[in-house]
Amino acid sequence: MKGKQNSRNKPKGFSLLFSIVLFFCILGTVVYTVSRKITREMSSAAIQNLSESLDLIQYTIEAILRNEAEFLTLTAQEVAKADDPEEYILACERNQTMSKLSLILSGESVGLSNTGEVFTEENLDFSAGGTINGLPISQSYLNYMGTWSYTVKCPVMRNDQEIGTLYAEYIYDAIDRSLPAGFYNKQATLYIMDAESQRFVLKPKGMGQRSAGHLNLADFYRANNIQDPDIQAEVAACLETGRDILFYHDIREVRALNYMWSVNDGTIFLAGYVPVEAIQQEGETVKQNIFFVVISMLAAFFLSIVLYYLSWRQQDKLRREREAERKLHSQQLAEALRAAQIASESKTTFLSNMSHDIRTPMNAVLGFTTLLAKDAGNPAKVREYTKKITASGQHLLSLINDILDVSKIESGKVVLNLERFALNDVISSVDAIIQPMAKAKGQTFHLEATGIRHEYLVGDETRINQILINLLSNAVKYTPEGGHIWFRLIGLKQRSSQYEHIRIEVEDDGYGMTPEYLETIFDAFTRAENSTTNKVQGTGLGMAITKSIVELMGGTIEVFSEINRGSLFRVELELRTLEEPADLQFWRERGISRLLALDADPESRENIRELMADTGVQVDTAVTVEEAADLLRAGGYHLVVVDWEAYGLPAVTALRGTLPEGAVLLLLSEFDADGVEEALVDGRTGVLTKPFFVSALRQEIEEMHAEPGSAQSAEPEESGSLQGLRFLAAEDNAINAEILEELLELEGASCEVMENGRLAVERFRRAEAGEFDAILMDVQMPVMNGHEAARAIRSMERADAGRIPIIAMTANAFAEDEKAALDAGMNAHVAKPLDMELLKKVIKQCIRGRE
Amino acid sequence: MYQRKGIVMRKHAPAQRWTAACLAALAVLLAACANQGDDVKNLIPEREREERVVNLFSPMEKTDPDAENIARTASDLTVAMAEDALGINVAYKTYTAENYQDKTYDEVALDRARSNMDDLYLLNPDTILTLGAEGKLMDLSGLDSAKNLREIIWTANTVDGKLVAIPQEVVAYGLFVNKDLFDQYGLALPETPEEFLECCRVFKENGIETPVGANRWWLETFVFAQAYADLYNGGNTEAEIAALNSGAARYSDYMRPGFEFLQTLIDCGYIDAEKAAVSEAIEAEGPDFLAGKTPIVMAYWGAANTETAYGKTDFEMQVIGFPSSRGQMPVMPMTGLAVGANAEHAEDAAKTLDVMVSDEALQLYAETNRVISPSRNVSVDCVPALRPLNDRIEEGVYVLGSNAGMKVEQWGNTCLIVRELLNGATVDACMASFDRLQDAALG
Repeated sequence: MKGKQNSRNKPKGFSLLFSIVLFFCILGTVVYTVSRKITREMSSAAIQNLSESLDLIQYTIEAILRNEAEFLTLTAQEVAKADDPEEYILACERNQTMSKLSLILSGESVGLSNTGEVFTEENLDFSAGGTINGLPISQSYLNYMGTWSYTVKCPVMRNDQEIGTLYAEYIYDAIDRSLPAGFYNKQATLYIMDAESQRFVLKPKGMGQRSAGHLNLADFYRANNIQDPDIQAEVAACLETGRDILFYHDIREVRALNYMWSVNDGTIFLAGYVPVEAIQQEGETVKQNIFFVVISMLAAFFLSIVLYYLSWRQQDKLRREREAERKLHSQQLAEALRAAQIASESKTTFLSNMSHDIRTPMNAVLGFTTLLAKDAGNPAKVREYTKKITASGQHLLSLINDILDVSKIESGKVVLNLERFALNDVISSVDAIIQPMAKAKGQTFHLEATGIRHEYLVGDETRINQILINLLSNAVKYTPEGGHIWFRLIGLKQRSSQYEHIRIEVEDDGYGMTPEYLETIFDAFTRAENSTTNKVQGTGLGMAITKSIVELMGGTIEVFSEINRGSLFRVELELRTLEEPADLQFWRERGISRLLALDADPESRENIRELMADTGVQVDTAVTVEEAADLLRAGGYHLVVVDWEAYGLPAVTALRGTLPEGAVLLLLSEFDADGVEEALVDGRTGVLTKPFFVSALRQEIEEMHAEPGSAQSAEPEESGSLQGLRFLAAEDNAINAEILEELLELEGASCEVMENGRLAVERFRRAEAGEFDAILMDVQMPVMNGHEAARAIRSMERADAGRIPIIAMTANAFAEDEKAALDAGMNAHVAKPLDMELLKKVIKQCIRGRE
Repeated sequence: MYQRKGIVMRKHAPAQRWTAACLAALAVLLAACANQGDDVKNLIPEREREERVVNLFSPMEKTDPDAENIARTASDLTVAMAEDALGINVAYKTYTAENYQDKTYDEVALDRARSNMDDLYLLNPDTILTLGAEGKLMDLSGLDSAKNLREIIWTANTVDGKLVAIPQEVVAYGLFVNKDLFDQYGLALPETPEEFLECCRVFKENGIETPVGANRWWLETFVFAQAYADLYNGGNTEAEIAALNSGAARYSDYMRPGFEFLQTLIDCGYIDAEKAAVSEAIEAEGPDFLAGKTPIVMAYWGAANTETAYGKTDFEMQVIGFPSSRGQMPVMPMTGLAVGANAEHAEDAAKTLDVMVSDEALQLYAETNRVISPSRNVSVDCVPALRPLNDRIEEGVYVLGSNAGMKVEQWGNTCLIVRELLNGATVDACMASFDRLQDAALG
């Protein structure tokens, strides 16, 4: 199609080009023809013009010559009449026209001039045969005045008899007086040339150039470079016959009309040239005007073409831009549509899944409640049913939490809660959750930490936990029984001294994922669907949440997987480090300055050395038990760390013998390692869960240094009840209120429930001091919400208003909800649905805190 | 509604402005066309006042379209300066002899000046003296520019107490030699007549048929150099001239050595006398000299600067003085511009001349033509070829080719008598001619 369009455009462009060329050809032809015609006409007009001018000069000179001849004839008549002709001659005075008058009487060879000189004809040359009015005229010559002149002779007749000959000498300068002072704006060059001698005998004033060749015809030819033999021959022929000649010849590179103009039947000639442009001044103007018009037309034409082209180009550009924009829009729309369709499909699928996933536990809840009602009399069944109802409820809750989390992250409402935390705590809590899960599935869970330089970091511990638990629980989920899971924490090279660069790797040898699924694994509402994983329940939101959180922390997440080979998730985070200056103090206070680490793994040894670097404690390492024993014998050690898995009980027993007084032996072991209890029989022995962390070591040391009794007393309090406590609760939902009352009652506590915040505030106002041990406050309530109520209570002017524990108990379960509650003056936050154990723990902490 | 109307108005505003601008332009064009009407009835423009004309009679060589004549250009520049300054049109009248049979320029100049044909004349020294003596030339001593002239100019151009001519350059004649040829034959540039003859002999023996290129005008320079070397450089100039003017000393005695020298040159074939007698200056000997065939020619200073003469040679040319007993001797005749005493436009001619020989004009002339200026206030460097000649003049060593203080005209008469020698007269006959002239002059 495009090809066709191009092929159509080509002939179009060609025809346009052809049209332009044709237009110029026609224009050029017209201009050339007009120009040629004008040139011809102008040339003809110039020749005509010059001819007329030369004719005028010719006639003027001929008139002068005739007058001179007539004057001579008259004078001859007067001389004839005179009694003494010679006396008459002597009496004549020379004038401006006639420079000399002479008479030779018939029969004599010598005569007399009016100057008084003797006159003979011998210096005069009449041989050329020229005449004026029939009187012979001599060849030109330089006279006694040093100027060119000619002599005309006339017979003196008396009574029809010639008595003598009268000679009149005229000077050419006399002619000059009758000629115009230059013609053609003084650009014309004019000489009067004697035809016989070809001498230039007069250059009239105002005519000609100094370099025009002033001497004779040969000089004229030479000066003006007229060397063409044909022209010279033509001129010679004209001189011979007394004809006029006009010819074009460039004089000093200027086009000129040259002329030889016969005067008085060719006795003298007007010789010279006129630049053509001097004759054709108006013609030149016309030419210039035509040229100007043509140039203007061409300029206008080209300007139009240029403007048209520019306009066309601009429109084309706009059109292309519009097209591109339209295309882009269409593309974007298509993409948006596709995305929307995918999203819609995903959401439909998700909703369908959710519907299924929610209905399944809900069905269980409702089904078991029906069964419960039916089998209420059978305590064994009741317990079984309630256990299943609880499990289904728990699952339902996790589903709801995930959905809420995703929608929150997607809407950008998640705020990271950056606080100091110990990496050890994170690992411990994760370990505590995952180990049992893995163990339950018969999987092996390996935990490694290498290259970590800082244990205390700043970050959102909860979210980091969430990431790790998501990844690890997925690993557990998607790894069959008896599989392996590796959790690696690797300290990478720091990019900045203020940030710890950590790589978290979670690897398994489980089902793995297809490449197609890998592409969408981090998208929300997706879940690996295959026969194997269908067995696994989940929201399909975990990975989307994980990725979002990682990116929120400025980190990256990658995944590598192969079907039936396993998966590897790799997260990289940069977390701000914290200086721990007090660390030195801790060790110094407890007199710990040397540590011996017995570890077979060199990486592990190096890890211990690195982590302990900031503590001021000298770390020595040993690979064999003997080496360790030798070192211990040398003395000075306060701590001995032994890798339990590598060396086991014999090593502990062996080392214990060489253990210095006051030194503590710590066993570095996997979670829930077998046989470790046997080694703990000695009071100076403790256990550290791998991997090694200074904070864990500190905690262990603190615990070991603490009073043995205090540790004992804490235990029963953890598992204590709420017996005898009295609560004021604000809860607008009657069912929830009833559940709360019932649960508290089960714990031996009593509870007074108010329907909203205001009533709760009023009730507290009326209450006597110490009537309630704590207030349990719902947040979303009519009339007055929980936050307002808490503030109102805290602002009361009674002694216990500031002290009474207020515990938020709400379905608003996010961190910011907790923060809002605390900000409102409440002491703690417990999310709904109620976890009674958690509630009890919180209540105890609050009451203990108050006490 | 108002707003909408406003928008519409604004949208149309540029178009209205364009229309208004176009109408205004059209109106201006129409008005301009309308103004083309002729208010004046008489279509002939008022004629300028009659031009003041000064006729200048000057020689002019035959025209060569391929060569620039800077000497003439220099003169033209000063003429143009005068025309501009005075609003005068200087009309050139020229005469050039076609051949030796024609009247000479000097003869025609004499005729024209005597007949008052022109106003301003460029005259050779003999003509200056002749016309000055006849009272045909105006006394120029009153011109402003005359005050700047060097003493030598006053000396050479004063006739009967009148300054009758003023030159635009101090013309110095010298020998133009092909230095390459001299070097080729191991010859030093000649100082004395004997050395000169020796050089000629060597050239002749080496196949150069005519070592000295000559014409019918300038051979007299050899004569002057030998005749007056002592007179002008011996410290007794005035007394010697006085003796000549009184008849106590004879011109023939001074002239004889030079004539005999020329006779020797002719006899030895160093000069082609027959050819020289009918040759015009430079025309005959120039081509051979430029072609490197003739090692020696004589010419005036300006010829070294003029392409039409010897301004451009393929060999190293040097201009030296003529051989004399006092070494190389420049010969300086004084051409000059003179005003006809009875000229039709004598007053304008004098004014024109005053501008043409003003310091400003002479500076321009000297710079253009690289010549020695007659004004004591103007000096320019000369071309390298002229340095030997220039050095002698700067030393004050030269002879005058013309001297208005001498009662017998020198430059023209000597020229004519040399022609007699060229035409076969004996040295004694030539000396007799001098004696006759002296006797005639002394009355």
